[in-house]
Amino acid sequence: MTGMPSFAAWCLRRLLPYAERDEVIADLDAEYRARRRTRGWLSAAAWLGYQVAGSLPSLVTRTAWRGWTGFEPEANRWQPGGPMFETWLMDLRYSARRLTRRRTYALMAILTLALGAGGTAAIYSIVRAVLLEPLPIRDEAAVGVFWSPFDWTEEEFLFLRPQLTGFETVAAYRPQDVTLETPGEPLRLIRGIASSAELFDALGTTPLFGRGFQPGDDVVGGERAAILSYGLWQDLGSDRGIVGRQLALGGTPHTVVGVMPRGFWFPTPETRVWVTTPLSFERRSGQYALVGRTSGPAADQMDAQMRGIGQTLGGRFQYPPQWDKTRSPALTGVREYLLGDLRPGLLAVLVAMGVILAIACVNVAALMLGQLGGRSTELALRTALGAARQRLVQQLVSESLLIGAAAGLVGAAIAAGGFTMLLRLLPLGALGERATLDWSLFWAAMAFALAAAMMIAVVPSMAMWRTNLQGTLATTRTGGVGARGGRLEGALVAGQIALAVLLVAGAGLLIRSVANLRAIDAGVDPRGVVVADMTLPTHLSNDQRRAAIAAAIPVLEQLPGVRAVGATIKLPLRGSGQNWGIRIPGRPEVSSTTTAFRTVTHEYLDALRIPVRRGRGFVASDHENSERVVVINEALAAKYFPDEDPIGRRIDTGFDGGERIIGVVGNAAEAQLTDGAVPARYMLYEHVPPVWHEVTFVVAAERAEDLPRLLDLTRTVLQQNTRNLALQRMMTLDSVFDLAVGAPQRVATLLSVLAGLALVLGAVGVYGVISHFVSRRTRDYGICMALGLAPRRVVSEVVARGLVLGVIGSALGLIAVVFGANRFSTLLHEVQPADTQALLGAVLILLTIAVTASFIPAWRASRTDPSTVLRQQ
Amino acid sequence: MKARVPADDSPLGTFEEQVMLAVLRKGNEAYATSVRRELEKVTARSIAIGSVYVTLDRLEAKGLIASTREQRDDSISRRLFVVTAEGARSLAATRAMRDRLWEGVELRRLLKNA
Repeated sequence: MTGMPSFAAWCLRRLLPYAERDEVIADLDAEYRARRRTRGWLSAAAWLGYQVAGSLPSLVTRTAWRGWTGFEPEANRWQPGGPMFETWLMDLRYSARRLTRRRTYALMAILTLALGAGGTAAIYSIVRAVLLEPLPIRDEAAVGVFWSPFDWTEEEFLFLRPQLTGFETVAAYRPQDVTLETPGEPLRLIRGIASSAELFDALGTTPLFGRGFQPGDDVVGGERAAILSYGLWQDLGSDRGIVGRQLALGGTPHTVVGVMPRGFWFPTPETRVWVTTPLSFERRSGQYALVGRTSGPAADQMDAQMRGIGQTLGGRFQYPPQWDKTRSPALTGVREYLLGDLRPGLLAVLVAMGVILAIACVNVAALMLGQLGGRSTELALRTALGAARQRLVQQLVSESLLIGAAAGLVGAAIAAGGFTMLLRLLPLGALGERATLDWSLFWAAMAFALAAAMMIAVVPSMAMWRTNLQGTLATTRTGGVGARGGRLEGALVAGQIALAVLLVAGAGLLIRSVANLRAIDAGVDPRGVVVADMTLPTHLSNDQRRAAIAAAIPVLEQLPGVRAVGATIKLPLRGSGQNWGIRIPGRPEVSSTTTAFRTVTHEYLDALRIPVRRGRGFVASDHENSERVVVINEALAAKYFPDEDPIGRRIDTGFDGGERIIGVVGNAAEAQLTDGAVPARYMLYEHVPPVWHEVTFVVAAERAEDLPRLLDLTRTVLQQNTRNLALQRMMTLDSVFDLAVGAPQRVATLLSVLAGLALVLGAVGVYGVISHFVSRRTRDYGICMALGLAPRRVVSEVVARGLVLGVIGSALGLIAVVFGANRFSTLLHEVQPADTQALLGAVLILLTIAVTASFIPAWRASRTDPSTVLRQQ
Repeated sequence: MKARVPADDSPLGTFEEQVMLAVLRKGNEAYATSVRRELEKVTARSIAIGSVYVTLDRLEAKGLIASTREQRDDSISRRLFVVTAEGARSLAATRAMRDRLWEGVELRRLLKNA
């Protein structure tokens, strides 16, 4: 007859007090056998099951509080002062002492971890807010933007509006920055959108309170409606009663009908107000974009419907061949349209952060490995004296925990500070309202880096000293390195160099790309020019506005150190816009096309140093009552007057009689810098009847050093002396340039910071590993030198090893760069992914670091006196 | 493990009382398993050894019972329990308290209806 099942016996044995367990188990066993004999197997098993299960709660409780022997309560192990607690305290104290003695190691490990995890968390939080959060648009897959954005007229939209098949609703919108006049506050310019009434239906968003636009808001003569962004509403005092009130936007009273929820943005995060605009069939101008919500299918599956719309358009409008709008109808998904150009840049930064984290892991691993190598004697000795593996691991873990805790504190500060800094530096607008620092990612990154580092460093070394205790102790006694070739360390160094090369070369490519952008000839001289953006109150008539501009010029010219003063409706490098229709008498084929059109004052071209190539610029004899004249740029001359002298020819903008061409000037970048030279023409304010409500003054200094003083003077003068002009913002032409090169430059800035970080971390890691490697061999070198080896040989041997590792790492890194750069080629302007300068630069920098890191400890080792080294043991 | 005198005359719990009575009934044969069997026999329900054991332990810590280790011929060493004078006092007090509670309680009418 068999006894009780072994599992039941095991349970009781685990839980009963040591002194009595045999007795109780024997009794239970006897009864189990008896029951089995008399009542059968099932009944006995059920009884035993009840005995074991019923005993568990009380026995577990008792064991926890009194212990197996009654003298050693198990619970005390976890209580303050208990044995478990005591060993941890002991180990933590010991680790703290060790770490304070090895300050460089501790500092390096803590900073590496903190920078890696904190930086990653800060950057990721921004990237998440910009790229990963859903757009504030309901069911965004069904929303798309029509082809040729910002090229639609009101006439085209009104014609299409009733006959758009496949769409629930389509809205037209265009950017319209407006002035906002609030009593008691200076006039200010805010980013806005003018749209048809369907805008918020197409986006599927409802206001936080109030209503969206309604049909009828956009008819001529109707009341103008405005919807505020959450941010603007807060700026205006967060008063819910604002709905229904009138607000003077751009000089026109608008009724506020609603306020959008926090975090809503469209089409840019900087947009702060949406207004309706009266739409009219009469208007052939107006550069609108069309955004539509399909009646079901995703935006990228609308090809058939879009072709139909193209045909409808072609049936009504005649397009010249070069501007044929019916040729390639398409609908772009709204996410791709709004975020498309942001994605590669932010992805590049994200990848860079991943690489930084990887470098941090490898770095800490290498540092720990170095420490463990140096401690193998101690650990082996402790094993030999009877330390349990658990206790040794506990000791190593407690050291990592200390480092982790310190890195957690420092890293949290870095994450919070970095996040705030990025929020301030990046133009995030409404996106920033939603961005929050992702702490869970921070802790995950921290835990991951620490755990990975421990895995890399601790596990193999544990295996090493446990399997070969005797060997470890033996090599320790002789002070040699033993059979271990440092292959793991070598692999870590190579990996570190590969990651650093990847990051530094990537940043190099971007920096070169930005440099190329800057090298494009903008056609103007940006040095020493003050730029003042002003607004003219919309209630002024055209003549009053013209007079206000004319009155400001002589005041500015009086300022000391001024070379020239000019004014224009739009500066170069501020994007396209102000494209006016052009007709050339006798040339019917150029009837419905536009070129950049700039109303300027006499000395504007001179102030920006736009050179006159042929004919003449504006002179004083060109005035209000003289003949209407125009100056064109070389691109316009080449496009419309390819084989003839344009001087004396006429252009018709639609002011009666047209105007005569008097000169040809060099090309200025009147659109984006990367658009190259676009056709443009310049006319005097005196000759152009309508005067735009925005004007930009340029004040060129005689000497570039005078610029800051001139900036201040210009501001004072403009604020004091002009009643009909409101100063919006002041900057230098150089900063207009910076803005134009902005997005890629910001990414490049971030990346170069990260690259610098990678360089420092990589250098630290490489230096740490190689120098540790050398210092452990100091005794070997001592012996070799005592036997006659030249110190030079020692140095060359160590440096060669560093160089070999550097070359292997660089090769791996270069392969990664060439593969990765193709992914981000949209960010690169006229730079090949395999750009030799950037790649070679990165490799050279890191190889130099590897060689330096090998040379310094090697040189130190070669200088040691062999007898000193040999005596040390 | 010296007996600790309870600070007050707090009455015994029901199960404690039952265990002590079972120890008394088993005389000099009172060890964990026999106490459990005795309880099962008298109360006619299953009782887990663990709860008996833990209760015996607790009563001993309170000084209400005492234990000795005895080596028998059949080579199983057993921990035998006896009720101490303190324990007897506690039992008597518990019983007296219960009797006082029962005084004047009339159940017959309720039982008839049941």
